[in-house]
Amino acid sequence: MSMSEYDAIVIGGGHAGIEASLALSREGFETLLVTQSPDTIGRMSCNPSIGGLAKGNLVREIDALGGEMGKLIDASMIQMRILNRRRGPAVQAPRAQADKFSYSRLAKETVESEPHLHVFMDTVTDIFPENGRAAGIVTERGWKITARTVVLTTGTFMDGRIFIGEYDAPAGRLGEGAAIGLGDSLRARGFHTGRMKTGTPARVRKSSLDFEKMERQDGDDPMESFSFMTDTVSRPSLPCWITYTNEETHRIIRENIGRSPLYGGKIVGKGPRYCPSIEDKVVRFPDRERHQIFVEPEGEGTEEMYLNGLSSSLPEDVQRAFIHSVPGLEHAEVIRPAYAVEYDYLDPLDLFPTLESKLMPGLFIAGQTNGTSGYEEAAAQGIIAGINAAQLLKGEPPVILSRSEAYIGVLIDDLVTKGTKEPYRMFTSRAEHRLLLRHDSADRRLTPLAIQIGLAGKDREERLQRKENEIKEISAILKSRRSGGKNCYEKLREPEVSIDSLGLEELSSYSPAVLSTAELDIKYAGYLEREARDIERSRKNENMAIPQDFDYDGVDGISSESKEKLKAIRPLSIGQAMRISGVRVSDIAVLSVAVRSRERG
Amino acid sequence: MPHYSVDEPVYALATPFAPSAIAVIRASGDGVLSLLSPLFSGRLEKARTNTAVHGFISDRTGRRIDEVVVIKYEKGHGYTSEEAFEIMCHGSLPVIRSISLALESVGIREAEKGEFTYRAFMHGRMDLTEAEAVEEIVRSRSGQASSDALSRLTGSIRNEADAIRSSLLDILASLEVQLDYGEDEIPEEWVFPHEEIERIITRLELIASTYASSRLYSSGAAVVLAGRTNAGKSSLYNAILKENRAIVSDIEGTTRDYIEAECVIGGVPVRLFDTAGLRDTDESVEKEGINRTRKLMDEADLVVYVLDGAEAVPDNVGDALLVRSKRDITGESGDLSFSSVTGEGLGAVLEAIAARLTEGRASGDVPRIDSERQRNCLMEAASALRDAEASVSSGEDVVAMYLQAALSSLSALTGEVTADDVLDRLFSSFCLGK
Repeated sequence: MSMSEYDAIVIGGGHAGIEASLALSREGFETLLVTQSPDTIGRMSCNPSIGGLAKGNLVREIDALGGEMGKLIDASMIQMRILNRRRGPAVQAPRAQADKFSYSRLAKETVESEPHLHVFMDTVTDIFPENGRAAGIVTERGWKITARTVVLTTGTFMDGRIFIGEYDAPAGRLGEGAAIGLGDSLRARGFHTGRMKTGTPARVRKSSLDFEKMERQDGDDPMESFSFMTDTVSRPSLPCWITYTNEETHRIIRENIGRSPLYGGKIVGKGPRYCPSIEDKVVRFPDRERHQIFVEPEGEGTEEMYLNGLSSSLPEDVQRAFIHSVPGLEHAEVIRPAYAVEYDYLDPLDLFPTLESKLMPGLFIAGQTNGTSGYEEAAAQGIIAGINAAQLLKGEPPVILSRSEAYIGVLIDDLVTKGTKEPYRMFTSRAEHRLLLRHDSADRRLTPLAIQIGLAGKDREERLQRKENEIKEISAILKSRRSGGKNCYEKLREPEVSIDSLGLEELSSYSPAVLSTAELDIKYAGYLEREARDIERSRKNENMAIPQDFDYDGVDGISSESKEKLKAIRPLSIGQAMRISGVRVSDIAVLSVAVRSRERG
Repeated sequence: MPHYSVDEPVYALATPFAPSAIAVIRASGDGVLSLLSPLFSGRLEKARTNTAVHGFISDRTGRRIDEVVVIKYEKGHGYTSEEAFEIMCHGSLPVIRSISLALESVGIREAEKGEFTYRAFMHGRMDLTEAEAVEEIVRSRSGQASSDALSRLTGSIRNEADAIRSSLLDILASLEVQLDYGEDEIPEEWVFPHEEIERIITRLELIASTYASSRLYSSGAAVVLAGRTNAGKSSLYNAILKENRAIVSDIEGTTRDYIEAECVIGGVPVRLFDTAGLRDTDESVEKEGINRTRKLMDEADLVVYVLDGAEAVPDNVGDALLVRSKRDITGESGDLSFSSVTGEGLGAVLEAIAARLTEGRASGDVPRIDSERQRNCLMEAASALRDAEASVSSGEDVVAMYLQAALSSLSALTGEVTADDVLDRLFSSFCLGK
């Protein structure tokens, strides 16, 4: 059986697949989204929240590029907070609790409403090349579908296996079958795969919990939006709850640690250090008397509550015992158990910074498949993979965001240059120039690019223009008014002065968001200039392109260890080469001389 | 080193340009062996690499210059890894000059300073720190500087820098954990560790300050003998040099300009200057000499002010070392004194000079640095830490930026500090994750 040719096939309907398929179809390309189940498009497999530190910045960057994640969470949030308000604007970020059922339904409807996007239910078992380039897919039910480009976003489903104590079964999520066969096919085609592990906590019944014994945590009022296209959010705001483990919890876990598939050796994949299971925390930090647990609603109408902080792969009887040892959870009725999932990922070092495969040109790979974790990290790669697949179809140069331009740039550069040994999560400290990457400036940084490639509509373009104009006006007003012997613009640079404290009547017509952006630009002007100088210094290296056919063996000054790494990663620039771990400074010096002398002929 | 090239034939004198038993001239680059062969009687082409060939070296007209030994290096074997040779000739200045001219006449140019090391580096024979250290060894002029350069190769500065890096990483990780996890997860406030940062700044500046004294050992200290005319400066100068290179006379103003000699005092290589005596004069030549003396005093690492016997101490001697001459005539006083006639007190004067040159020089547990580059990165790191201290009220994101800047300044000494280093430290120290 075969289907007529599509411009693009996107494999997987998770957060990466959604952004990739929307970017492609919105640019007018006939796109087929192949998913194991259309019911699970945009499903939130783990925590019911979007955003957070660095991740919130990613969401706003995706939105600034014309992506969907920001709009989806704006329309489905059930609590919203700006984190780190008192720790400096560069590290503040929005985080929202989501009604995960609304989120997923909205995602499905958005995908279905695109005229050029076609959803098809099947499981992909192979991606085949023609003349060395990705040419189409083969499915479990025997379809052979051709396309000019393929985007792979399989998440945890490729040879996924879940573990609950002694129980294990092939699955991508509990109750959803794994995608079997694709991993083997790709391995046979020379792709490098590895195993990674992640986990999720139990969901318990709300009416069985005693909230009197917990601390209540409310969101911000009013709720702020993620999308630059959303003016106001009118959503219900539900509380989360905080409780703590205790010595008894830890005793139960310690006594049963031998029954953990993680400690028993059944799981070989590497899990994330930043999001450890409760048994990991108890073993690694034996001195801690208690660990924090956030009890979060999974949605507006549902009884299911998410026990954030209690992810585990221990057997279900042990899970119940330690859950019941926690204040407020004594009578908790478990609806879904906690479990660990182990899955195949593809080594991201096999990708170019465009997310195109070095092994099979025309194939783009995005999301958890590349060794990341998190909805936001997945979506960020998804939109870039979609954009670059479209650029390829249009015959235009690929989009590569720099590390000083976007967290997305940092994320992808890290993945394809350094690879990852554990599920990669975004942290602000991964960015050298995070003062430049504030969440409120994502549109100013990235929307001009979205306009250029055709992913920003007229409305988005006008909003950006209006924001830029207003920032100029605010700055002019500040310069024209005086306060305490100097003009207000200068006055605002003093740490204890805020734009509100100046009490200027003329500014009252501007929105709080644009006032805040203008204020931070002024307050941070000195530091931003410092960062800009830093970036300027490295620009020469970033711009010095290394030809893809460069012969590393022909340069005798480079150590053989570095040579192997350079040959494997094939960096696009000297700047990227410098970031490959273990490549010596002296090797880079020699390499740049060699590249330069080749340029000169 | 942008104007340096590789593979182009170059030569350099590897030993000092001074009379000595043997001098070594080496050359490196594509085709240097065949360029040498018309000048050399030995059978170079038949010799194996890394072996010595005896013969005579001549100029292009065939006139013999010297009897020499040439060591042949094929590509991939010598110091630079290029095709190369070393000529061992007699260490007379005319011979060295003649051989140099002969090499230039066949198209081998004189190397830029450090060009051999650069080529070794470019051909992967050594890394940057090693290259710098080798350059220092070549340049160093006394045993002490040589051992400094060697200890850098074995990494004493690296150990110290690593310890500082580790302290800074701890501080940064304790801040980053707050910036990367929300206040609901990490509710504690971060407090700027003023005491520890101050301690690190002090340490950085202490190590940086060793550069000045290191420089004395590598390039020599300028010691200027000054004093009134006829105070006994030239007698002291001669006594120190133990040779009559300065004119000594009792007619005032004999030494109208300065003269210079090199010697070693207490292990420190010294350029010793004998200067025009200071007095009021209308004579233009002598006036010029006095002006030059004043200028020299300003630039000196140490001024030794020679007082004429019982002469009163003038006001404007600054921090000069005061010594009294003519001890054989005026007898011993409380001050440092010497006699150039009997030699009495001279040893004490030399000790005092050495002590003054090395004072302030850090004690044994502070590793010395010996390049401007290293000093600069230490000072940059210290200054970034001061900026971090000053920006506490501006926000923790700004403080973190300066702490990172300090770490990245140190990276020239310790190797790059990456975000992964910070995260590793963070994950190993804090229990994180909901």
